Amino acid sequence: MAGNIIEVKNLVKTYPGDVKAVRGINFNVKEGEFFGFLGPNGAGKTTTINMLVNLVKKTSGTVKIDGLEISDNPDEIYKKVGFAMQEVGLDEVATAREMMQLHGRLYHMPKAEIDAQIAKLLKLVELEKVADKFTSTYSGGMRRRFDLALSLIHKPKVLFLDEPTQGLDPHARQLIWGHLRELNKQGMTIFLTTHFMDEAEELCDRIEIMDKGVIVTEGSPAELMKKHNAKNMEEVFLKTTGSTIGEEEVNANAPDPFSRARSGGRR
Amino acid sequence: MPPIRSHEPGAEVAVKTMANTFFSDWYYLSIRNIKLIWRPLLALLPPFFMPIFFFAVNSLSLSALAKVPGFPDVSYKDFIAPVAMFTAIFFSAGNAGIEMVQDIQSGYFKKLIIMPINRLAIILAKLTEVAVQALGQGLVMLILLLIWGVHFKTGFLGVLTIFAILVLFAMAWSCISMIFALRTQNARLVQSMFILVFPLLYLTTSQAPKALLPHTFGVITGYNPVTYIIEGIRALVITGWGGHAVGYAFLAAGSMFVVLVTIVLLSFRKALK
Repeated sequence: MAGNIIEVKNLVKTYPGDVKAVRGINFNVKEGEFFGFLGPNGAGKTTTINMLVNLVKKTSGTVKIDGLEISDNPDEIYKKVGFAMQEVGLDEVATAREMMQLHGRLYHMPKAEIDAQIAKLLKLVELEKVADKFTSTYSGGMRRRFDLALSLIHKPKVLFLDEPTQGLDPHARQLIWGHLRELNKQGMTIFLTTHFMDEAEELCDRIEIMDKGVIVTEGSPAELMKKHNAKNMEEVFLKTTGSTIGEEEVNANAPDPFSRARSGGRR
Repeated sequence: MPPIRSHEPGAEVAVKTMANTFFSDWYYLSIRNIKLIWRPLLALLPPFFMPIFFFAVNSLSLSALAKVPGFPDVSYKDFIAPVAMFTAIFFSAGNAGIEMVQDIQSGYFKKLIIMPINRLAIILAKLTEVAVQALGQGLVMLILLLIWGVHFKTGFLGVLTIFAILVLFAMAWSCISMIFALRTQNARLVQSMFILVFPLLYLTTSQAPKALLPHTFGVITGYNPVTYIIEGIRALVITGWGGHAVGYAFLAAGSMFVVLVTIVLLSFRKALK
């Protein structure tokens, strides 16, 4: 039986002004698992995922990735995880190939390995034909697919995805789902946050639902529907989570160091 | 993995590896940033417009100033040539902060900070881009000025020294825009620092020697570090190596560089918290 690749114990994040975004959560993710982490806006999902990749410093608690405590071994953790964020974050004046080459170099990979990864990943996300075009020319779906490929350049063991299909049409979503299933089949652990309940139901082996900084329920989609006497995951979600009280408070306190820019800078 | 202490076996290898990865991170990030200079290609032109415009207008309309008693024994064109070189760099070095805000807003910056790279390399790569851009712009301005008939009294070595002063100042000046970028993460605010260029450029001896300026104006120019940089470059163009002007120029640009790079690094550290 596979061991835990992510272990979270008593994880707390308190922002200045005593805003408690995450209030002592505990969970584990097994190696090779497709794990869903759901919750309404302001529940603390993005703060949690940002703490798991060390983008946000935790207030207290422990986070272990592949047996390593994140605050003691950030560089080792960065090599083990890939992160496709809500903001796609592409270099608009670079081509896909240039960006992948740069990222490979920054992960200190040998050139031959980078070239092999680029060929493999561009094929996986079906972007080989546009590899040498500037990323600013890509459609929304292409950008998401490329971002997914970019987050995999260094062969991470765990892939974190923060709303990877937000703003995509059903065709583009299906394409991304296909890529994710393929990666998971190859043994990659996937940690997904999404607002699409059908996406979570379709893809995830196990789901945890968070609300107001705490985990309110967990299990496989089938278990959760049975447990909460619901027809689908959307019903489970509505039954287990409340309003979005606290959202404004949490959003006013940047969920990560560089999120102020999205709201036009410091207020 | 526990840290390797200096007396333990393998420490030397670990230090060498750290140094290698630091220089490799710096190098690859610099290459990426340097490409921003000419992408898009049209972005290369605007920084030259203002200095060429002012140089052409001033050297043609104010040439009679050179005949005023107390003016150095040179043409007005030679007198303001250093200002043209300096202005090209002054106007463009502030772009570093705007590019940084763009990277922050797009999310690209966040990608960088969750990579196993030395964070100092991110800032140094930005400064390298600024230095390369200053060299390129300085070279274009130099060619244009030579074509216009400007004479550089200290020759090739003097030109190299001018470039050293310009690059040092460009890196220092770019830090101000990066500080704005890191502290505000707002493109409009970073762009608005452009207004600082005018008082800093005109409250100097850029248009006339100190002896010909009104007393109060002359006193103010003495507190402006840009005065010393312009005077240093000017000495290399029209006077020669004698005097302390070149030394003061390096001192002014060097002091600005040290202070402002320190503030950028502190701002970066604060932004990451």
